[in-house]
Amino acid sequence: MRKKKTLAIFGLAILLCGVFSGVAVASEVVKFGGSTLGGDFGYPSPYAFYPRGMGYIYMSFCFDTLTWKDETGVIPWLADSWEMSDDGKTWTFHLHEGIKWHDGEPFTADDVKFTFDYMKEHPRPKWFKSFKHIDHVDVVDDYTVVIHLKNPVADFLVCIAGDVPIFPKHIWDGVGDPKQFKGKEAVIGTGPFRLAEYNKEEGYYLWEANEEYFKGKPLVDELISMKVSDTALALKTGHLDEASFWRKDIDVVAEFEGNPDFKIIEAPGYWVLQIIFNCEKYPTNITEFRHAIAYGINRSEIIQKVVHGGAIPANPGILQPGIEWYNPDLPGYEHNVTRANEIIDALNFTDSDGDGIREYPTGEEMEFELITIDKFSREAELIKSQLREVGIKINVKSMDKSTVDTILKEGNFFLAINGHGGCSYPDILEAPDWPAGTYHNDSYDSIFEEQATTMDSEERKQLVYQLQGTIADDLPVYALYHPKRWAIYKPEKLDTWFYTKNGIAHGIPYELNKLVFTGEEAPTPATPMATTMSTTTPIPKPPGFEATFAIVGLLAVAYLFLRKRGQ
Amino acid sequence: MHRITKIISYIILIISILSFNFFLPRVMPGDPLSFLTGGPAMDMPIVLDKEMRAKLLAYYGLDKPLQQQFYAYMLGILHGDLGWSVYFNAPVSEIVIGGLKWTLLLVGAATAIYMVLGILLGAISAWNRCGKRDVGLLTFVLSISSFPSFFLGMLFIILLGVNLSFFPISGAQTPFAEYSTPFEAALDAFRHLLLPAMTLVIAHIGGIYLLMRNSMLNVIGEDYILTARAKGLSERYIMHTHAMKNALLPIITMIALRAGFMISGTIFVETVFAYPGVGRLLYDAVTYRDYPLLQGAFLIITLVIITANFVADMTYAHLDPRVKHE
Repeated sequence: MRKKKTLAIFGLAILLCGVFSGVAVASEVVKFGGSTLGGDFGYPSPYAFYPRGMGYIYMSFCFDTLTWKDETGVIPWLADSWEMSDDGKTWTFHLHEGIKWHDGEPFTADDVKFTFDYMKEHPRPKWFKSFKHIDHVDVVDDYTVVIHLKNPVADFLVCIAGDVPIFPKHIWDGVGDPKQFKGKEAVIGTGPFRLAEYNKEEGYYLWEANEEYFKGKPLVDELISMKVSDTALALKTGHLDEASFWRKDIDVVAEFEGNPDFKIIEAPGYWVLQIIFNCEKYPTNITEFRHAIAYGINRSEIIQKVVHGGAIPANPGILQPGIEWYNPDLPGYEHNVTRANEIIDALNFTDSDGDGIREYPTGEEMEFELITIDKFSREAELIKSQLREVGIKINVKSMDKSTVDTILKEGNFFLAINGHGGCSYPDILEAPDWPAGTYHNDSYDSIFEEQATTMDSEERKQLVYQLQGTIADDLPVYALYHPKRWAIYKPEKLDTWFYTKNGIAHGIPYELNKLVFTGEEAPTPATPMATTMSTTTPIPKPPGFEATFAIVGLLAVAYLFLRKRGQ
Repeated sequence: MHRITKIISYIILIISILSFNFFLPRVMPGDPLSFLTGGPAMDMPIVLDKEMRAKLLAYYGLDKPLQQQFYAYMLGILHGDLGWSVYFNAPVSEIVIGGLKWTLLLVGAATAIYMVLGILLGAISAWNRCGKRDVGLLTFVLSISSFPSFFLGMLFIILLGVNLSFFPISGAQTPFAEYSTPFEAALDAFRHLLLPAMTLVIAHIGGIYLLMRNSMLNVIGEDYILTARAKGLSERYIMHTHAMKNALLPIITMIALRAGFMISGTIFVETVFAYPGVGRLLYDAVTYRDYPLLQGAFLIITLVIITANFVADMTYAHLDPRVKHE
């Protein structure tokens, strides 16, 4: 009897093994993902990806641009070299010869011209503004193309040449609605990877290396991105080889510090959280009043208590400290309750009934709604208690993003908290579209226009300094913090991770530059490919292994069970 | 005659739902274009000027007067066309069905398990009222059921998924797996299904158990049970044939009512296990103000719920012949 019991348990164990052993997955891969990098970002064709940074990056694995960026700045890519005319309106690109599309067709200047013409005809919101500057494109010969602009564009090499993916004429010619054009053909580019699989529901992608890539065979055979239940956990269990963290995730990053299996790199988030003032409504239309609120807010406390130190106090001029246009000489609005009180007292808003809250000269209590999206409600609550000290009563109202946007657009608010990216290029300073719709200043607008077309970098820097100075003085928005960002990875899988200068392409702040995987100019004889994949290859299983096991186990259990009954 | 009235009332229901689906999303502040410029993280800000905005509105047909849009929407539905999602840039039917198949699998499996378990345990509990079994079951079921489902999910992931590495911790399939037989594919889906389904079962079993227990207690007090006892029938027979069948009636209604909640209410479980499904999709559709997707998703989900209710109605009539004659 005991023997039978043992047998039964054994059979059951086999059955369980069959059920729970994993299904074999391809080896030699690098897997990234998690809450920031993973998930569904749309089909990675130039028109179908979702308007998010990761959508663009996924697309950039399959498609190349004329120029690209590394850690130090703009580098040649599809174009080996280029010249700008003296007026900054004509750009001549000399294309790299011998590049092939994934389907084997040669890449030529015709494809570049076609891409620009097609994009002009079928605008995609992301590039619509940039394309307004483009007049026309001429093909000189197979490997020379000239782009004529209507006016000089200061960031041309980044926001157009380094951002617009070039797609093949022989495929896209005649495509009527590019948004609906999907399928294998729509992702044929010149890029280092080919899309092998995309699963929308599960949010995972598989790319295969393009062995004939013109910059050399990529370091990685396969690239996988996926959504996971818990990013840090997935890194530890080996479900992911790399993941990205930011802001409050600093607590998670601390867990990985000192772990020899992982490396951590830090970068600026190129993102800013700000408090937006309504510059059209009394009393937030009074500049001094806005100054007083800025003095009343303790940014270090917000950074410590809400994001646990995962951010730096923001540049009141919005641009990320450290970039070439950052103006370091702006008023800091260090937390100073006395100063704030003095300013508001001078404006004649005093606490006449002694309840700790100031009144307007009319006798009404000074009480504002602070509008925020749910994500930043903790910052808002802290600001509420801080402003209480200067006698201003705040009611926090948190709503979803579309509602906040609508309210901001309609101007039906006093104070709002909102955040946005793009702090690595001066374009983000454009008013009134962004970031504060209620602020109007003609001289600011004309300086903005001027810097956007100034090709001399020193001259442009001075203009951008002025823009930041105006924002810091007038304070239509008060920048609170710039979050930090981290990449955590397993160096034994891949050790080439780095952060791109001012973000990938037009400022996308992630570490997934395709250069990480192509190892462009990285391999030197001294370090013999320590970066290539040397993972332990799982023992290949014969097909149907689990199935056979499961069936055998089931039969064993059934047999013993029936035997027992029969007795 | 009764059946015809019922069918007519269902048709009226569907038409009013269609209209609600169209107008409700449009009442919310904001529009689908606002999310094309960036989300709360906004890692790639896009400035949408008036010209581009006008072009996009025209592309999605949102520039037309409301009644014209409504007409186009109704016409599309009659043709079986649910439209094109603004954010996800794909046909709505494809997106919704892609998510719904996993939700139905998850919810279906969980409902089947919690229903059977809940009914059985409830019946046993009631039959042994105030006995050891009853008190034990009551304490046990209520205490596990009162765990929040996302917490329970995390617990399962850490205990069973990570520590024992018995179960996969996310998704509904092993990514990029190549199956040699359909059996293997089913096995893989089953392994991924177990933890989320278990979480749902535990989260929902409490309600059904309590209802069954109460309903059973009511039935036990009825005269016909006394009669059955007087006839000398065995306890087991009375419990199964006389008591349980009658106690089931309110349960059927409850399950039908819950079907709708289960479909959208799985969002916690979907999020914790990164399980694809319609709950998360609905949440995104609302956040992005993706009108076509919202309309399509709500429509398909309501159809599923109406079907569930219809089935419940029919089952009810079958279980309780009195309903037919009313």
